[in-house]
Amino acid sequence: MQYGMIIDLDRCVGCHACTIACKAEWDVPADKGRNWVRRLGPSNTPEGLASTYYPGLCNHCNEPSCVPACPADVIEKTFTDSKTGKTTTMEVAATYKDPFNGTVQIDQDRCLGCGACADACPYGARYVNTDIMNEEIGGEGIADKCTYCMPRVEKGLEPACVQTCLANARIFGDLDDPNSEVAKYVKKGAKGLTSAAVNIGPNGRYYGNKKDMHLLTTTSTPTEMPSASLRRSLMARLKPELRKAKNLGLLGLAGAVLVSGLNEDKKE
Amino acid sequence: MNTTSPQISMANIFRFLAQSMRYPDAEWFNEDFWSVLINLLEELQWQEDKAELTRVKAGSKDFLEDVQIEHTRLFINAIPHVVAAPYASVHYKGDGTLYGIIAEQTKKFYREKGFALAKESDLPDHIVYELEFLAILANEDPEGQKKFLKSLFTPWFEIFKSKVLEEAHHPYYRVVMNLIDFFTREEL
Amino acid sequence: MSFKVTRRKFLQTASIAAATLPLAKVVSAETGFVRDPFTPPGSFEGTQTVTGGVCEMCFWRCQLVGKVRDKKLVKLEGNPKSIDNGKSICARGNAGIKLLYDPDRLKFPLKNVGERGKPVWKQISWQEALDECGSKLKAVQEKYGSQGIAMFPHGASAKYPMDFFEKVVGTHNVSEASFFQCRGIRDSAYMSTFGVAPGESVDMPNAKAILLIGCHFGENVHVSHVKAYLKGLENGAKLIVVDPRYSASAAKSDIWVQIKPGTDTAFLLAIMNYLVQKDKYDKEFVEAHCVGFEEFKKGISHASLDWAAKICDVPAKQIQEVAELLAANAPNVSIHPGRHVSWHGNDFQRIRAHACLTALLGAIGVKGGFVKAKGVKVKGISWPKVAEGGEEHNLKLMADKYHFAPPGTPTELIRDACITGKPYPIKGCVVWGQNPMQTIPNQQRMVDSLKQMDFVMCVDVMPTDITMYADILLPEACYLERYDYIKTGTQWNFADKHQQYIAPRMPLVDAMFERKDEVFITNEIAKRMGYGDKIPVNTLEEKINKELAGVNLSIAQLKKEDGIHIQDGKDPYGVSEDFEVQLYNEDLEDNDYPAVPTYIPVEEVPKGFTRLVYGRSPVHTFNRSQNNVWLHNAMPVNPVWLNDEIAKKMGLQEGDEVSLVNSEGVKSSSKTVVKVTPGIRKDTVYMAHGYGSRNPMLTVGVNAGVDDQELITKMTIDPETGCNGMRNNFVKLVKDGKTLDIPA
Repeated sequence: MQYGMIIDLDRCVGCHACTIACKAEWDVPADKGRNWVRRLGPSNTPEGLASTYYPGLCNHCNEPSCVPACPADVIEKTFTDSKTGKTTTMEVAATYKDPFNGTVQIDQDRCLGCGACADACPYGARYVNTDIMNEEIGGEGIADKCTYCMPRVEKGLEPACVQTCLANARIFGDLDDPNSEVAKYVKKGAKGLTSAAVNIGPNGRYYGNKKDMHLLTTTSTPTEMPSASLRRSLMARLKPELRKAKNLGLLGLAGAVLVSGLNEDKKE
Repeated sequence: MNTTSPQISMANIFRFLAQSMRYPDAEWFNEDFWSVLINLLEELQWQEDKAELTRVKAGSKDFLEDVQIEHTRLFINAIPHVVAAPYASVHYKGDGTLYGIIAEQTKKFYREKGFALAKESDLPDHIVYELEFLAILANEDPEGQKKFLKSLFTPWFEIFKSKVLEEAHHPYYRVVMNLIDFFTREEL
Repeated sequence: MSFKVTRRKFLQTASIAAATLPLAKVVSAETGFVRDPFTPPGSFEGTQTVTGGVCEMCFWRCQLVGKVRDKKLVKLEGNPKSIDNGKSICARGNAGIKLLYDPDRLKFPLKNVGERGKPVWKQISWQEALDECGSKLKAVQEKYGSQGIAMFPHGASAKYPMDFFEKVVGTHNVSEASFFQCRGIRDSAYMSTFGVAPGESVDMPNAKAILLIGCHFGENVHVSHVKAYLKGLENGAKLIVVDPRYSASAAKSDIWVQIKPGTDTAFLLAIMNYLVQKDKYDKEFVEAHCVGFEEFKKGISHASLDWAAKICDVPAKQIQEVAELLAANAPNVSIHPGRHVSWHGNDFQRIRAHACLTALLGAIGVKGGFVKAKGVKVKGISWPKVAEGGEEHNLKLMADKYHFAPPGTPTELIRDACITGKPYPIKGCVVWGQNPMQTIPNQQRMVDSLKQMDFVMCVDVMPTDITMYADILLPEACYLERYDYIKTGTQWNFADKHQQYIAPRMPLVDAMFERKDEVFITNEIAKRMGYGDKIPVNTLEEKINKELAGVNLSIAQLKKEDGIHIQDGKDPYGVSEDFEVQLYNEDLEDNDYPAVPTYIPVEEVPKGFTRLVYGRSPVHTFNRSQNNVWLHNAMPVNPVWLNDEIAKKMGLQEGDEVSLVNSEGVKSSSKTVVKVTPGIRKDTVYMAHGYGSRNPMLTVGVNAGVDDQELITKMTIDPETGCNGMRNNFVKLVKDGKTLDIPA
């Protein structure tokens, strides 16, 4: 099962109901968002004058760049398939791609709020909520993003944005089910925002007429992956026991790497 | 500066502070209240504050109305803008609107201690309620009082107090802010 | 496209310093603090679903449910039982939470002990506030007569007090913005043609073609109306949009007519003339239902395609294309009546043309055409008409002007009387839910009108600009905290099963602070003015129960039915035999107005200037919602749309900060940003209405964006109706203090 979202631009009228409903559902700070709507155009395209919208949210990518960026302690986590009851265990930091439903989630109880994941996302889909934090692990905030409303979906409800959309422009479902609406849209040609450099398998896709799609893809497709954050590459070079240390500020991190590096040099 | 009289309990202090933040009307903002306030300042040896307040009161045509206007301007609606609505939600975390996260956490705290607001639909994070609650805790639950101050009161009161001190035109609320600060500050 | 990553920048600079800084210490295990982070629980669990909400973030009034967690309203959603909006609500509907908990909202009665316009507020008791309102209004009435009191009402809560002042106190001087600055012209023009007010009653879901003159659905959002429009598009309707701007609707259109502002009537006349000359109109319908066809035909015969093309600045071929498309799809064509139509002071004639075109196409009572839903009527209970004296102090009759005005008195006649004292003085003012400062052109006239009053009282939920002029300011319970409006209607798609619904507004939460509702406030004032014996109901709840009893329902019953009562409906199609369309209207002629739709030219744009037009934003309702923290963050400013070629000539770029100045020298108090686009005419600039409040009591909305109304100072009054045309103002842009001419 891989959950996905389709935005039908023929229907979307850019009313912003989806962004406000999401804020209400999940207590998102007023100046941030788990999703967004940007007005595009009116601009000239090869197919004529066009004006449309970019309703964006986390794409719950197939190869998410945010997941490996997380420097939190790695633990073993057991996942349960809500449909079959099957379980499996994975090693995860504080963010992971669910092995059963394909959504990318954040373990907000263990998040440091360092922002490395937000930096690593080419779509800018994550933000750090500084109103909440895990104080006892020295957190600065908690990373937050669209969850495809899994807690709601598990209770048989629609994602909040889908429910409120007055144009029925947001279609949600299992991409792996060939009879689902979302799968049909993919067959019709719905596309994710990908480019030569950014091709991490977004499961959010857009569908619309030629000129609207042209406007969307030329203005809103990320064309480069964010440079590997310094923090992430430093963490990757740290020895495992050092990585476990709590509340390592970046400066400390850099120091640890330098020390570690020096030792390495000495050995050679 | 220490409170000297053994008859003044913290519970009484908190109740007095709560009262001083209510909307001033002739029923309670009277000579009795005034003399208790002046006495308190005397005990604390805050001579400058005492002198300024006394002087302003003496020179005012309608002291009650002056304080009413100031209360409205600082805490209710005003030009240029309401200076400091006296709710935790407006100042600490959240987006500046009422009934934010901290209000819910405060309500939860009241409930865990076995208390609810008499008027259920009132906002739990109004400074008067919080001070009244501190009075209850002072009598029954000193540990709880410490925790409440640290996690739910002081973080927002600090911000609230500095806004009021910066913008107050009338000395009354400056003095009240300083009193609340003094009695809720963590003992070092 | 690269994404700015400020944290990364920080990380990079930190690495430079890293070598000289020590290792951070590991935090000690005990902070002495027990963890209790707030994980957003969502609205679907641990909450109570309260039904009976009827939205009033705008005036379409979708049906809502509230999710209440321990007395806190955490979310609003569409009532799934609704056959109107269903489970959907728009951005503003969702954001009602932030109105409820807005710290700037009015909470207690306030008295101004300073001066009007520069208030010094003191909180007072309701008793004191009502005593003052009652005695002051009574004093005005005694000294100047009932006509000495004027009222500016708006919204559901203003109906009951409006009835009191009109029927009991007996003043005609009531100016509803929804009429005189909005749809009054439309209603009056259709009344003069079809004999009924039109609403927005076109059957778009089942239309083969839809013609929108200026409507910009998507930027303007009324939930079930947008659903109807989108359904029509989904069903293959051809969309024609006539707009100087490439609006949200133009973006979905098959034909976009980039018309010169003010000339739409010429466009419509040419189409009608074309249809008549080419025999492409519905002869049968015209024979059966239309009056004055020959005079009408003669009256529009001058309107050739070329004539209109020149005036409208669009190709004659395009006008022909539109005419052909309408004819080919007649009679299943939606000629949208519009809603806010008070544009240029020549609007009555334009809307008459809408109606006449509809008739020519035979598009009445048929699929896709002009079809009024057959809903339920719930009779309202209000004050009895007891005021003595008839029309003797009716300003409109005294002036012998505006003979086709909508109900009430034209705003300008009221303001004239206020300012000049003629034909009689107006010295008492009641403002209820309206913000005349940001609603009516020429703000200085409003200020002058208010400053000369003996007494001004305002009732509102928010401290809007007008409240700065109140002597007594009363805090009202908002739509989430009270009963009142009973919304009725039918399913929005006539192809679906015919059903009717009745949904009374019921409170979702208790009113906080000391907010009161309209029945309490009006009754208390009535008592103090000596009309206590005329009071029809004692509470809002009583009023609603009595009204529902008229259709065999009650509040208790509605609560059992999840807030919405649904019953079988009626087929709305068909035209009654005696339905009459006055293509040529004799009454108009008798009053010296054009009897046949006529194009009346508007003032040309002076050299160096551009015309300012405005419209709607999907996240705001006029100026009412600008302080809402969620809505404000969705669209913080209203960019001014500037044609890209003009921008290039002026050296202006996307995002440049500018203010505006108009041809009468009035400058905008605040700034906005430029939006450079090919999607607007060179002679026009556009902004969304409702930004730039100057009241500092709106801490979020103050000075955000530009208030278009500030720049609308030239008065243009539609002669038939007395309504204000507001798109006849011309502006220049000001950048870095320098005023820039607009090139041709």
